[in-house]
Amino acid sequence: MILTAAIYILSALAALATLLMLFERNPVKAAMLMLAALLSTAGIYLALSAQLLAALQVILYAGAIMTLFIVAVTVTPQAWRDRPAPGRMARVLGLAAAVVILAELLKVSASLKIFTIGAGFEETGTLAIARELFGRFIFQFELLGLVILASIVGAAALALKKRTAP
Amino acid sequence: MNAYPLAAISYALFALAAAGFLTCGSLVRMLMFLELMLNAANIAIVALGPQPASQAYALMLFAVAAAEAGVGLALIIAMASAFKTLEAENIKDLKG
Repeated sequence: MILTAAIYILSALAALATLLMLFERNPVKAAMLMLAALLSTAGIYLALSAQLLAALQVILYAGAIMTLFIVAVTVTPQAWRDRPAPGRMARVLGLAAAVVILAELLKVSASLKIFTIGAGFEETGTLAIARELFGRFIFQFELLGLVILASIVGAAALALKKRTAP
Repeated sequence: MNAYPLAAISYALFALAAAGFLTCGSLVRMLMFLELMLNAANIAIVALGPQPASQAYALMLFAVAAAEAGVGLALIIAMASAFKTLEAENIKDLKG
């Protein structure tokens, strides 16, 4: 019961933070609202008995990725100077597209109404997750190492290009 | 707890982030909303999937999100120095 209430409250917080982000002009304030949404998501993971994911959400999303965003906003003065002025038509079309996406998703998954998720807090050990990662998902997991290596090389190449160019 | 409200929560978060992605013009902001969309999909996977497997999958998606944010922000910084703007509408040249 209390877990269900926690899930609803935290998801309302996340939705509110995302909604406020839509109307926030200041990029750093928008980043802080995104941080609120990500931390609420960590709370949702905790209520869903995914303790490791909650910790990783705080460390990885709210820590590392958020720092990257703040650094990117700081080193690009254009992010501050540019005032977003999208056309009224584009704005209305974007909102309409989002509403259509939501309606379609809700309609498609109406068959989920008969399923129930096991309520109650339970401990999901890291051992069980590690068994999945190094057992069934070993190929995907190793491939992921390659993806991260490629992204590091790509980011370094993009960042260094300017200095080495004549 | 019924599975449908859990799915609806992640759909709502996804749709809000998608609305932000489609309506805002700044590239940094678009990447932020993209991360939030991925985050909403992660919630759906963790909430609806079979327990240890879905969490392992979500863990891998975290790594994908981190890699995506790194490359995306490097691209944005490179574009900011090449085009002197971060508004998607002002970037029209294919050859910077």
